[in-house]
Amino acid sequence: MKKGMHNKDCTCWSCPAINLAGKVDFRACGQSVEQIKKFQDEKGGGHIMAECRRRPELGLYDPMAITFQECPEWQDTEYGYLLKNMRVMILGIDGYLGWTLALWLGKLGCKVSGIDNYSRRNWVKERGTHTVVPIARMTERLHAAKEVLGIDIYFRELDVLDKVALTEFLKEVKPEAIVHYAECPSAPYSMIDFEHAKNVQSNNVIGTLSTLFAIHEAVPESTLIKLGTMGEYGAPLTGRPLFEGFFPADAVLKWQDKEWSLGGELTPRDPVSFYHISKVQDTFNVYEACKYWWLRSYDVMQGVIYGVHTDEVAADPRLRTRFDIDEWFGTIINRFVAQAIVGIPLTLYGAGEQIRGFIALEDAMQCITRLIAKPPEPGQYGVVNQMSGYYKLRELAETVAAIGKKSFGLDVQIQRVENPRVESERHPFNPIFSKLPDEFGFVQKDNIEQEVSRMFSLLLQPNIKSRIEEKRHLILPKTWWSGQKKEVERIELYK
Amino acid sequence: MSCMGRTVFIGLDGVPHGLLKRLADDGTMPHCRRLFEIGNLHCIASTIPDISSVAWSSIITGKNPAEHGIFGFVDIPINTYRISFPNYLSLKSKPFWEKSEGRSVILNVPSTFPVREMNGVHISGFVSLDLERSVYPPGLLSQVKALDYKVDVDAEKAHVSMDMFLSDLDKTLTARGKVCDHLWQHEKWDTFMIVFTGTDRLMHFLWDAYEDEEHWYYKAFRGHFSKVDAIVGSIIDRLNDNDILVMCSDHGMEHLDKNVYVNAILKEHGFLHYDPALKGGFANIDGRTKAFSLDPARIYLNKRGKFPRGCVAPNDEEKIIEDICELFQRYAVGGKAVCKAIYRKKEIFHGPFIDLAPDIVLIGNEGINLHSGLTAENTSEETIFSGKHTQHDAFLYVRGRDKCPSVKEGFNVSNIIGYIDSLKAERWR
Repeated sequence: MKKGMHNKDCTCWSCPAINLAGKVDFRACGQSVEQIKKFQDEKGGGHIMAECRRRPELGLYDPMAITFQECPEWQDTEYGYLLKNMRVMILGIDGYLGWTLALWLGKLGCKVSGIDNYSRRNWVKERGTHTVVPIARMTERLHAAKEVLGIDIYFRELDVLDKVALTEFLKEVKPEAIVHYAECPSAPYSMIDFEHAKNVQSNNVIGTLSTLFAIHEAVPESTLIKLGTMGEYGAPLTGRPLFEGFFPADAVLKWQDKEWSLGGELTPRDPVSFYHISKVQDTFNVYEACKYWWLRSYDVMQGVIYGVHTDEVAADPRLRTRFDIDEWFGTIINRFVAQAIVGIPLTLYGAGEQIRGFIALEDAMQCITRLIAKPPEPGQYGVVNQMSGYYKLRELAETVAAIGKKSFGLDVQIQRVENPRVESERHPFNPIFSKLPDEFGFVQKDNIEQEVSRMFSLLLQPNIKSRIEEKRHLILPKTWWSGQKKEVERIELYK
Repeated sequence: MSCMGRTVFIGLDGVPHGLLKRLADDGTMPHCRRLFEIGNLHCIASTIPDISSVAWSSIITGKNPAEHGIFGFVDIPINTYRISFPNYLSLKSKPFWEKSEGRSVILNVPSTFPVREMNGVHISGFVSLDLERSVYPPGLLSQVKALDYKVDVDAEKAHVSMDMFLSDLDKTLTARGKVCDHLWQHEKWDTFMIVFTGTDRLMHFLWDAYEDEEHWYYKAFRGHFSKVDAIVGSIIDRLNDNDILVMCSDHGMEHLDKNVYVNAILKEHGFLHYDPALKGGFANIDGRTKAFSLDPARIYLNKRGKFPRGCVAPNDEEKIIEDICELFQRYAVGGKAVCKAIYRKKEIFHGPFIDLAPDIVLIGNEGINLHSGLTAENTSEETIFSGKHTQHDAFLYVRGRDKCPSVKEGFNVSNIIGYIDSLKAERWR
């Protein structure tokens, strides 16, 4: 595939700027695209018509007739053809990913809008911690985006649970793609107690349900890109592959000398916290909404995210995205780097032999952009496993320690502590993550060594280091899946 | 009210002269029977091709397709192989209501979506994508919705259940009658036009029920026509003596035996080449193609300079047309010739848009429904439809026997508006 042009053959059929209508009620009949095309051609009078909101002069026409490559509204970018001034709304725009994506897409020429009710700031504050990379207030962020990058971001303070207000905002903005980050992303936070479990599940599950109903009512032709997690699949001890949402066509279930095809069925989910359960519930809600209402969605099963860098967030201190290192909101590599800087041994839970998929912040932004550029077809629920590689946690700790020592002269130790989670500590791991590179043209740009070095450089800045020091007592876990609240004991310390 | 009288124009989509006369005679349509006793019923021709979008465009403009620019439900713009769907925006001539000084109410005329500003009320007919853009003035929309109006029956229901289809047909007609009544009472008008389009839908699916007394839906078929007749009756009961009443259909209808696919025949005889590796539909036509067909049976030469992979040079055009005409003159399915008539462009089209017209138009033989069928695997097949359009056997009715200009041989639907004008001139002189 020619680099960046993964979407050249897409047609108006999947373009969010198109109204589809016709004599066939394709939204209810459940026919596949091929069947509809056959029906159109042979039966006559059953045509589906496209009407372009951006090029009304085209009148009504065959939605398969114009490719993105041929359409002047889809413009050549590094990440594929992208709609000119594409309207993208980010739900949870104030978060670690949301803010980074807003600047990234704004710089690419998208018209970015977003909502947030500052839940993440409040959850972090409630736990008595803070983002160690200082972030500005939203008004200042918006001002800096305009001043430094020339980007106008249309923001509204809004709770994703407020379906009426969300619907109104969608009707006003009419986004052509919606990226849904407005969820609580923490497993340990969901395991603190009943209230926290309830809040996480309510915010995530009902928030996504609210989003689906609002999209259905206001902008059903828009693409929904929903953040899931690789954690939905769990880590099956059989070592069976973790396919991208669905079993492939040739998968077979064999039992008692009989065989059944599993092709096209959703793969099993095995969530490992109340947070992960909320993500699995989201999966089913989005999947069903696409089926019932012909919405279009990609569910992004994201590996563990890490990193601090994109060119846009690095352009000005006021544009930095948040960076959490506490036990609830700090992801593991981010936490390792913070520990290395303040002299806490890098902490592994249990055996430290757990394997996880990972992706750097900048690569995640590239993936989301490529998904936006190749919208799903009407009714399509697509799943991608978004990761650039997978590693044993112990090996990662060793990598971070080695970089800390070699490049930054730090004396870094590693420790294993009791595992507060209920999870397999030694397991096979066989994720399939070929769709993004094969079908969307994703090329990994950021390797772990490079991004970890960037993180050390930033976090070693005195003001940031002192903010890590302030909250160093909140890095080691005290939240046990068993419900206990106690410090973990060290099993082993090694260099 | 104008002392010169008003004009009422009723359209019955697809209703053949023969069927109308028979249903009037057998008591299914008593109001029409009453009308026929006090006026003239003529058998007239449709446009070529004989489909509603072309025929109604000719009826409301009084023009040849090459003058109003509508040649079918689908078209391919020059320099593309992109199927497009012409609508009211594509109509290149003004409809009669935009040329007259009086106020008009126009209800359910096919191919007039989306509506635009005019002197009066306009609710478009099929194909209308949404009700919001089907109603002028927009302030009328809420009342139309309150009367449960919908533009067209959901014909897809017939593929699921004929009972569901008939129920929807009935609801659609009832709502149309209510809106007609509402507009008649609450609007001021000099011209009132309504088209009943469920008739065409019904005959496509259940022509066999018309012909066969033992058919399960025999009564349902006649029941729909009786209901249309009742609404026509309610209209004529409110007419004044000096009002002009004209009724017409846009084409005829007859039984359907087989679909025959023109592109499959062109492909079979080396006129059409299709590269499945390309992106689908007509875009797959490759550079060896000499001709292709759009629905219903319009054949276009793949001319150099006109289409992206056009290969036919001007000097070769005549020979290829000759060869294609010869092919279809002799082509038969099951021993029966598929064509009743074959027309070349210049025989049937005249006007500024003649370059957009098909080079050849085929008229199917009795029972043969000609279709484009680009990806059809066979040249012919059975179909669930039992009725098909005809170019002959449309009708024109004019109330009153005095001061009626004659309807000459060769009269077709594009002559109706001119006829009404001369009728007005005659009566109001």
